[in-house]
Amino acid sequence: MNMKTTLPPELPSFFHAIVAGESAPVSSDVNRRSFLKLTGLVGGGLVLGGFGAMSSRKAYAQQAAADVSTLSAYVQIKPDGRITLFSKNPECGQGIKTGLPLIIAEELDCAWSDVDVVQADVDAAKYGANQFAGGSLSTPMNWMGMRQAGATARAMILAAAAKQLKLPLAELTTADTKVLHAASNRSWSYGDFAELAATMPVPEVASLTLKDPSQFKLLGRRWTGVDNHGIVTGKPLFGADSRMDGMLYATFTKSPQIAGKAVVFNEAHIKSLPGVVDAFIVEPFLDARFFSANSGTHFGGVAIVAENTWAAIKAKRELQVEWDTSTAESATWDDLVERAKALADKDGEPLMVNVGPPGPNAQRAPAARGDVDAAFTSAAKVISAFYEYPYVSHAQLEPETTTAVFKDGKIEIWAPAQIPQGGEAGAAVVAGVTPENSTLHMTRIGGGFGRKLANDYVFEAAAIAKRMEGRPVKLQWTREDDMMHDFFRPGGFHAYKAALDADGKLVAFQDHFMSHTGNGQGPMTSADLSANVFPMDVVPNLKITQTLFQNGIPTGPMRAPGSNALAFSFQSFMHELAVASGKDHVQFMLETLGGEGPAENPQGMHKGRAANVIRAAAEMAGWGKEMPKGRALGLSFYFCHSGYVAQVADVEVFANKDVKVHKVYAAADFGFIHNLSAAENQLEGGIVDGLSQLFNAKITFNNGVIQQQNFHQYPLLRMPQTPALETKFLQPAEFSPTGAGEPSMPPLLAAVANAIFNATGERIRKMPLSELGYRLV
Amino acid sequence: MATLQINGQTLDIGTIDPSTPLLWVLRDTLGLVGTKYGCGIAQCGACTVHLNGEPVRSCQIPVGNLSSEQITTIEGLAGADGTLTKIQQAWIDEDVPQCGYCQAGQIMSATALLRKNPNPSDADIDAAMSGNLCRCATYTRIRRAIKVAAGQQTATAFYDAAAAQGERA
Repeated sequence: MNMKTTLPPELPSFFHAIVAGESAPVSSDVNRRSFLKLTGLVGGGLVLGGFGAMSSRKAYAQQAAADVSTLSAYVQIKPDGRITLFSKNPECGQGIKTGLPLIIAEELDCAWSDVDVVQADVDAAKYGANQFAGGSLSTPMNWMGMRQAGATARAMILAAAAKQLKLPLAELTTADTKVLHAASNRSWSYGDFAELAATMPVPEVASLTLKDPSQFKLLGRRWTGVDNHGIVTGKPLFGADSRMDGMLYATFTKSPQIAGKAVVFNEAHIKSLPGVVDAFIVEPFLDARFFSANSGTHFGGVAIVAENTWAAIKAKRELQVEWDTSTAESATWDDLVERAKALADKDGEPLMVNVGPPGPNAQRAPAARGDVDAAFTSAAKVISAFYEYPYVSHAQLEPETTTAVFKDGKIEIWAPAQIPQGGEAGAAVVAGVTPENSTLHMTRIGGGFGRKLANDYVFEAAAIAKRMEGRPVKLQWTREDDMMHDFFRPGGFHAYKAALDADGKLVAFQDHFMSHTGNGQGPMTSADLSANVFPMDVVPNLKITQTLFQNGIPTGPMRAPGSNALAFSFQSFMHELAVASGKDHVQFMLETLGGEGPAENPQGMHKGRAANVIRAAAEMAGWGKEMPKGRALGLSFYFCHSGYVAQVADVEVFANKDVKVHKVYAAADFGFIHNLSAAENQLEGGIVDGLSQLFNAKITFNNGVIQQQNFHQYPLLRMPQTPALETKFLQPAEFSPTGAGEPSMPPLLAAVANAIFNATGERIRKMPLSELGYRLV
Repeated sequence: MATLQINGQTLDIGTIDPSTPLLWVLRDTLGLVGTKYGCGIAQCGACTVHLNGEPVRSCQIPVGNLSSEQITTIEGLAGADGTLTKIQQAWIDEDVPQCGYCQAGQIMSATALLRKNPNPSDADIDAAMSGNLCRCATYTRIRRAIKVAAGQQTATAFYDAAAAQGERA
């Protein structure tokens, strides 16, 4: 398998910074040998921690290419043969708590039924800086390291067995947590050798023999999640479920106008309410409007601490606060829409994109190629269109929550956090303690989607706990807090223009991309455009310009950041071009790809993999078949987060603009799939998530105040609207696994929009469709 | 001292503000945290419990309105020996959860459905489950798990070679 993994360029820059070690939440330089010396016997048996952390200053790509894991694993084999595998990355529904230990177990060659999985604690020394859930990176970042961890433990068990049994190592093999000696037809549990194995030399990585994929016994099959029994019986797994003796409960209220600061509140009244223990203003912690994993991102506000959640919520409803809004945000969405429309036929500033490898030090150059103006002049057809999409909210079902206690100069935290090391480090600053006196325990995350990459609620809880010294406090945001204080997916506008030659071939592509800036310099998080967006990467003449509106409404990464909006406008416009060319959409897409070969740069799109998913989805759906009147298929393809997905939607549009999405066919190439059930869950969920966004999701703001507060104003898709789904994973053998969570979603948007055009002739150039009179039924 | 009838037991909830929603009594007072807070306005269904066998949104029921009603939460579904219900087992067999936060509410709604209607149609399932949001969008698996629990469909073949090739009945 090709082990070379590179970080997708469309990821927000803080991911590049973390993996490059240039802005790691906590950096570590523990080498593998020295770390292994720190571990030893715990209650008997082999305890293998390892693979810590190469120099965090090396670029991620270099580390991956050097074929040495940057990551850590942790294996414990007890004398009774039970195996504990520690899963080091946060679980937010992507299935990684099951997936990472499965990879270890495969190379360890143990039976899955012998394994207990434990969520590892936050520990940069053991696990390196990559202990986060984001960017669809949990699998590709850890694939090699987890395999090496399992293979190392297996090698040490075998070496110990040879010594203890006085048998030649070459005569011993393994299977199902057993050492086998075929010559004498005997077998022994791994546990028989666990104690001796702990004293054996740790083999060099280069000496390890990894399985050929054809030998996999566990990987590639369907596995149910290791927490599922706990979930269906109501066990306390989630951040919100933390409970401690003497615990208090807190709410936190921020300025409805984003970034307003609390001046004074009706303190005496609030404190007089039943059950209220304390109420106080929390000052902003590094008032930073810009998304950041490990620096301050909260704006301050009023904390109410009470004996139970309900008392805190009731008191919150009676809270009256004077907000200083002199430096608050004042943007209004409708104004931005008008400004964008007025700029539709003008150019902006040249859009700068990465040239060469991505990362914090990437070279930037204008996204321009050839001569678009000459191409437009000589073109057979020129097509223009203006696209618009709104701000949207993550709306993860678990509202932000954290439990914290400040005691004896130490802060201890239990939090659902996608970047837990950042939460731990920032909480130390908030609590005024040294980093080693801040401890964050990862809980299961009740939905992340990128919202819990920000640690604002962790820092708020730390500030509240500091004030309530000695008493544990659970901070619980309300849904209204969540929806009004998200780091939103930014809205945006695209004024496209493209040229087709006499053969209907795409020869020029132009986009004036309008998004937002908070600091007057660069775009807000996820309001950017990478050079890899198809067809930017393949068209001979290209000009992309950008206008940034002053607007600091907080934005952040949401599932497939950037791509979750760009895929709508780019791939809808591609269909417009296909229609103008007179060609079949599949044919036009394949011709525009212009080949089947690998990309010229390592982050780029492999044209053959792209073509294969497009062909596969078309074949699954019976592309070209006769459809009843008012019903049609629509196609879309998108490449992001190193994943290739094509989707075909079977859509019926009724006279009243009710829309029934009968079925969605999806073909995906994420390389090798190690847990088919989890990958399928991500792909199915991404499709339905996309439908929800396409039809209904919209956040608006007036003078810096978010206008939606709860699900009645921000409807999510429900079961009756869910289409039938058919998914297929291509799994070409030469490509190692990439993530499934993010690339699953983007193609849905244009697939359905294009199907509506094919069914009705009405082109969709705006999300959500509810604003165009469509209703998903 | 007030008491509630929960999962077959009489539980003391002390002196409590009668306006407190049952949700917070379960979670804060009794430590039954399997029932989840999602929206507080009966939009998401994460807080679904059974009141005399009927699925209700516990965020909307002031505890002062309750006396002798039989309340069942997610913690009360399995048998005393830990035996899971068919619904719970189907949820595991179909690997329904993604993040899992909504699933207690989903299971309570599905359990009430099958108790009343052991052989539901797709439309019956839609009607019974439409009050429960799943942000991860596991709806196709929820539907399948309900059908498996109802005996209408065999469980997905996990762990076997055919399943590994992506085939599923």
